[in-house]
Amino acid sequence: MRFGGLTAVRSVDFTVNSGEIVGLIGPNGAGKTTFFNCLTGLYIPTEGTVSYKGTVLPPKPHLVTQAGIARTFQNIRLFANMTVLENVLVGRHTRTKEGLWSALLRGPGFKKAEKASEDRAMELLEFIGLAHKRDHLARNLPYGEQRKLEIARALASEPGLLLLDEPTAGMNPQETRTTEELVFAIRDMGIAVLVIEHDMRFIFNLCDRVAVLVQGEKLVEGTSEVVQADERVVAAYLGEPFEGAPGEAEAAEVAAAESTTSNTKGEAQ
Amino acid sequence: MHTLPQQLANGLLLGSMYGLIAIGYTMVYGIVQLINFAHGEIFMTGGFGALTVYLYILPDGTPMAAAIPLMLLGGAIVSVLIAVGAERFAYRPLRGAPRLAPLITAIGLSLALQEVVRNFYPGADKALAFPGLDTTHDIGSVTIKDADIFLIAAAIICMSGLAWFVRKSRTGRAMQATAQDPDTAQLMGIDTNRIIVIAFAIGGFFAAVAALSYGLKYGNIDYRMGFLMGLKAFTAAVLGGIGNIYGAMLGGLVLGIAETLASAYINNIPGMQQLGGQSWANVWAFVLLILVLLFRPQGLLGERVADRA
Repeated sequence: MRFGGLTAVRSVDFTVNSGEIVGLIGPNGAGKTTFFNCLTGLYIPTEGTVSYKGTVLPPKPHLVTQAGIARTFQNIRLFANMTVLENVLVGRHTRTKEGLWSALLRGPGFKKAEKASEDRAMELLEFIGLAHKRDHLARNLPYGEQRKLEIARALASEPGLLLLDEPTAGMNPQETRTTEELVFAIRDMGIAVLVIEHDMRFIFNLCDRVAVLVQGEKLVEGTSEVVQADERVVAAYLGEPFEGAPGEAEAAEVAAAESTTSNTKGEAQ
Repeated sequence: MHTLPQQLANGLLLGSMYGLIAIGYTMVYGIVQLINFAHGEIFMTGGFGALTVYLYILPDGTPMAAAIPLMLLGGAIVSVLIAVGAERFAYRPLRGAPRLAPLITAIGLSLALQEVVRNFYPGADKALAFPGLDTTHDIGSVTIKDADIFLIAAAIICMSGLAWFVRKSRTGRAMQATAQDPDTAQLMGIDTNRIIVIAFAIGGFFAAVAALSYGLKYGNIDYRMGFLMGLKAFTAAVLGGIGNIYGAMLGGLVLGIAETLASAYINNIPGMQQLGGQSWANVWAFVLLILVLLFRPQGLLGERVADRA
């Protein structure tokens, strides 16, 4: 993926198998969110393809979702002026068939489809523990619940692969632990999870495999132990120069490009 | 001399017509942040579509009760096709362009549509007679025509249908989602291009309903009728809070009533004798807009801009 003359993500070859939780970590500006945006079709990759279950996906977000990849966002992007239930129902858009005409004519199938969709949405709300707030506006929820609602909304599209972009950012340790359990529960539903996170304890507790992205390239991939032991990872995080490192200026540009296109939030390490 | 209830009824009727047209502005703006200045002409062509059905398709002497549904169908087909065509061929290619580009395109399209109708529709260089529904009824001190009953019934059905559709149907929810955050909406599996087309189509249909009502009520249509009606409806949409469909309905009614009352009663105020009457109606309509925007820039039902990022 290039922006003008700047390469934000370069030859990241990456596979997630079903029933697996994979972590994606890396310093700020490494291209993690850019990578997600490429996967979900928000950016059209300059080179390379995304395939899911053996078929290459077209870079069109709605088709990617239809194929079975869902995501959450680093900075929460709920539909703030819709209710909790409506947010989840929007998430079910691809899994419901009712079109314009049957809605206008209110055929017998319409009520049934709406009811089924609502039931399924309520199940999801119960799963994340927000069923009692179904009619609240999303923007009135506290922060931690907004994050959970985003996960429920992503699950509503019945994905086979769930992409979580910093699900615990800004959470307290208690909330982080709940999220951890939630992710395990999602994995047990048979959904593969790819998670971006800065909280190392969270990542190493959670993930079967971890990949490290540094300046747009995959540095290491392996189990928690392998990654933790790798000294290049430590170097990358602590900012020590390692062999063949591109200059500071380029790193800053990558960060700038990412923050303008995807509103990347800055964190202190 | 008309009574106050009569003036209110007149204002309500005019306002319903503004509201129907305003829906087209507000839905398109709400979803793609484009002011479709060609919408007045989409309204106008709807009137010509309906007239075409009456003059050239239906046999002479068809009773109006049978003719009206077919005229509505004809008008709706023309308006919806032009609205959707404009989106597809004029606005979509400019989706990522600076906002002035589609705005200028809209103005150009508006002029082009007027000139096409004027030059190619037989007799359209002058006002064309439209079959009216002129039978009158007295309800208390208020006199209304059949055309007014058609207008008010159509407005109520369309508006409540739309409110239900947006609130309760899957496609309606997808529209709300697209209006609030198009990128995220796409990631929910919503084909936003399709939603935009539907918004234009609904706007076109409502404009056709308004145009048919206009013809039935005033008994003639002309190729310039979209300009002022479009401008007023746009005013109504802004007055109510652009992007908000309830705002468009409310804005239409407020504008219609205010304009009618102002032109009827302002000349009774000492020192303002010259400022009443029909010729000043537009002035008062825009004065109202300026006043509302001074004190409530987001419109009557609009949200603060910060909330709708």
